[in-house]
Amino acid sequence: MATGFRYTARGIAGSLPSAERALLGKLFGDVIELLTGRQEVHALDDEVDPLYALTGMRPSDAQLPVPSDPAVHRLLPDASQDPELAAEFRRLTEADLLSEKLGRLREGQLLLESEKVHFVDTAQATRFAQALNDVRLVLATRLEIEDEADAERIGQVLDAAEVQTQEDYLALVYNLVSWLQDSLMSALLNEQA
Amino acid sequence: MTVMPDVYEQTESQVVQEKSWRLIVWNDPVNLMSYVSYVFRSYFGFTREKAEHLMMCVHQDGHCVVRSGSKEKIESDVHAMHGFGLQATMTQEV
Repeated sequence: MATGFRYTARGIAGSLPSAERALLGKLFGDVIELLTGRQEVHALDDEVDPLYALTGMRPSDAQLPVPSDPAVHRLLPDASQDPELAAEFRRLTEADLLSEKLGRLREGQLLLESEKVHFVDTAQATRFAQALNDVRLVLATRLEIEDEADAERIGQVLDAAEVQTQEDYLALVYNLVSWLQDSLMSALLNEQA
Repeated sequence: MTVMPDVYEQTESQVVQEKSWRLIVWNDPVNLMSYVSYVFRSYFGFTREKAEHLMMCVHQDGHCVVRSGSKEKIESDVHAMHGFGLQATMTQEV
């Protein structure tokens, strides 16, 4: 079992067994794939003024559809309960949010390649926590965690020996990621204290 | 030698008081309490007490107004919250 992340005199670090690092790297990769799939929806028609592509903006008549995959929708949620305002917000900002999330996930993947994950500063540890959280959000959507009772039920799957179904395995992975995230939060909160 | 014409500034302007916007963060069963609390402290610069209080407010009441301000400011807050994976929306005060 890994020891998770710790706040040390030389910053926040964690040593993870190679199997866990490989698993996490794979999970980060899955979320990257989901988000790059969404980026394809952003492509503009050929007739649209190329200036839009250069500036990264979208014309007002080129609204982005709400993501059909609930996991992608959870990563790129609606900014308002007013559908018009939410659509406008999505059109203007989703591309940035996507590339920010992708950047953090790719940075995280790189960090996981070394045996000891050592963050250069708090900002980097925070970005890793954000990427880890995106992984948790996707897993939670797949596990259909919709309320506290669901979360509690899933949280009880802790013993690898008892895993029987695909869902059990997913739950086990989710709990591992949650535990890592929580250890990283303790380390970050300790640093702030 | 020439003189530039005087430019009179438009001194009378109509100030339309725009109603401010609110940032609402919604509860969800996935985000860890420690994480939400950390986000409130690190992004908004709230004290530990204020961050914990707001986190509990979100957790217990289902949603909470975290702060209010101009449309631009709240838009950038919503964007940042989505970056952290928190469910956040904006609404204009009535």
